[in-house]
Amino acid sequence: MSDWSIFRDDLIEQMPLILGGLGKTLELTAIISLTGFLLGIVVFYLSLSPSRFVRSIIRGYISFFIGMPLIVLLFLIYYGMPQWGISLSPFTVAVLGFTFNVAAYNAAYLTTAHNGLDPVEAEAARAQGFNRLQIFKLITLPQVLRLSIPALTNQVICNLKDSSVAFLIQYTEFFARMQEVAATNFQFFKAYFFSALVYLALVSLIVLASRALERRYILPT
Amino acid sequence: MPLISVHNLVKEFSGQRVLNGINLEVYEGDLKVVMGPSGCGKSTLLRCLNRLIEPTSGTIHFRGQDITGADVDIRALRQSIGFVFQQFALYRHLSVLDNVTLALLKLRGMSKAEAEEKALHELNRLGIATHRDKYPSQISGGQKQRVALARALAMDPVVIFFDEPTSALDPVMSREVADLINQMRAENVTMLCVTHDLRLARQISDRVVFLDEGVVKAEDTIDHLCNAHSDSKINDFFSSGVRGQ
Amino acid sequence: MSESLGMLDIFALLANGIGFTVLVTVTCSLTAMLVGLLIAGTRRLGFRAMNPFLDVYTYVFRGIPVLVLLFMVYFGLPGIGIKVPPLMAMALSLGLISGAYLAEVFRGALNAVDPAELLAAESMGMSRLQIFRYIEFPQMLRFSLPGMVNEFTSVLKYSPFAYTVGIPEITKQAIALTATTLRGTEIYFAVGVLYFAIFKILLMAVKFIERRYCAPDMLAS
Repeated sequence: MSDWSIFRDDLIEQMPLILGGLGKTLELTAIISLTGFLLGIVVFYLSLSPSRFVRSIIRGYISFFIGMPLIVLLFLIYYGMPQWGISLSPFTVAVLGFTFNVAAYNAAYLTTAHNGLDPVEAEAARAQGFNRLQIFKLITLPQVLRLSIPALTNQVICNLKDSSVAFLIQYTEFFARMQEVAATNFQFFKAYFFSALVYLALVSLIVLASRALERRYILPT
Repeated sequence: MPLISVHNLVKEFSGQRVLNGINLEVYEGDLKVVMGPSGCGKSTLLRCLNRLIEPTSGTIHFRGQDITGADVDIRALRQSIGFVFQQFALYRHLSVLDNVTLALLKLRGMSKAEAEEKALHELNRLGIATHRDKYPSQISGGQKQRVALARALAMDPVVIFFDEPTSALDPVMSREVADLINQMRAENVTMLCVTHDLRLARQISDRVVFLDEGVVKAEDTIDHLCNAHSDSKINDFFSSGVRGQ
Repeated sequence: MSESLGMLDIFALLANGIGFTVLVTVTCSLTAMLVGLLIAGTRRLGFRAMNPFLDVYTYVFRGIPVLVLLFMVYFGLPGIGIKVPPLMAMALSLGLISGAYLAEVFRGALNAVDPAELLAAESMGMSRLQIFRYIEFPQMLRFSLPGMVNEFTSVLKYSPFAYTVGIPEITKQAIALTATTLRGTEIYFAVGVLYFAIFKILLMAVKFIERRYCAPDMLAS
């Protein structure tokens, strides 16, 4: 039991750093969820382009970023950019890498939802005289977003969990701080177990929030 | 001795009496047609007879043996009763031939060659052997019903149950099913058919059992039942059927 | 900086890790299949008493980041007297997490099996186990093919974490190579291409199996 009390003491002693790390984890998760969401909508819009060239570029974008491991993408930016004289902070690298990756996933979810829509509605809107962007904004996007709420909120959960990867590019988020705690007292198992519990608690919060969102916005079928 | 003899059969679902004392006899070589409005308990009756549904009380004698007891080998009982469902219920992941051989292989323990020979015999008998390698999604509703019947016949059942065999079919295909049942009858197969399709009933039999509110209301010729019957329920059911034709 | 190192040389050096990447991916995928089948099967065959445990398992293992669990198993367990070899650590983290996801995929697929077919099998005189084995199980495998492909792809994309426990797979080779040549851009780009190629080969294999074994209306795509 003294093991536990040592661990607890270290935890309390390093609490400011841990909380700081937790703040960074939440910050990164929030930012990439937002940027990934917005870029995802742009990518999805472009995937509906009448130009075959644009569509094939977008298809390439989506399959490249979905097919590439996130950590490799982060390493590519983190270790590759300095070669061109550009040095980015771990935070910037994480935001960039995650955004491209998450946007590709979100665009894929939106496309799946779009495939399930009745094309007659867009046709009706065209017949009424709406232009392409108007149809997208007023008809397509609102429906597609609502249909994708489960997938999109699931992606936010993934973002939270995957943000732990950022410590591999020296971003001092929560998990990195917990490693430091472990390194000071060699209580690795307890540190990781505690980390797991914190992630689980945060995931549960997102699950609860997304259920509320679903109840509110999902279209009756 | 009747093949199946049902006495005072009751089935309650959470206090609601779906079957309220059914008495029915089916003899070897019979084609018994049970009719009635939806919700009258026809399908429940059929499912009680092979214990897919457990009856609340009453007795069912099958070849002289009461099969409502706890010590009855239900799976052996079911293997001796062929069941043809309204939605055909063919196994989607199996070809036509494999649909028929599955039970022969796994329940009868036949060799593959034996099972296929037996299955092809039944498929031939029903004129669909040429579709043996197709999947259920690739054949028509009428053909599916033939496969379902072949699947039942392959087990050499003592009796075949039909549960609304035409409800998922258009009139042309319904006619096919009627022809099929008549063909079986000519071959002396014992059958019990539950339906609300008066057209089908006329095509396969002149006598029907009329079931309503969980009891047998009448057992008579269709002509009698159709001609201004004194019971208003019977009258409603059969006259609407006549109008429907 | 070795200027003579061409793209082909980079691929050749990285290729040393392909075998390990495949080994990690296959090991974790098989573990996931086993766990997923066990959970879905237990649930389906109606061992009601087990359900709360299964629910907790799938919830917990879908809520913990792969990296955190991997560290807990590999660096944490020795502290409480359990030494786990690297590959097994991958199976016990990535494999178990992926198994929780697969269990949900299988559950969905089992729900897609037509109840009328099960009733038909029951009325034929099949036992519960026979119905599961001959009707539900084969259909479940076919229905869950798209979800399984997704999950295996995801395992492949998390497989680079194996470098953190010292398995010399592709990413580990890339890190070593980058340290000596400082050409991160080409190297990690090549890594991305390699993962993409493995992903495509996996997909082709699945398509082949699908075409061979699937009934026509049950094709995944």
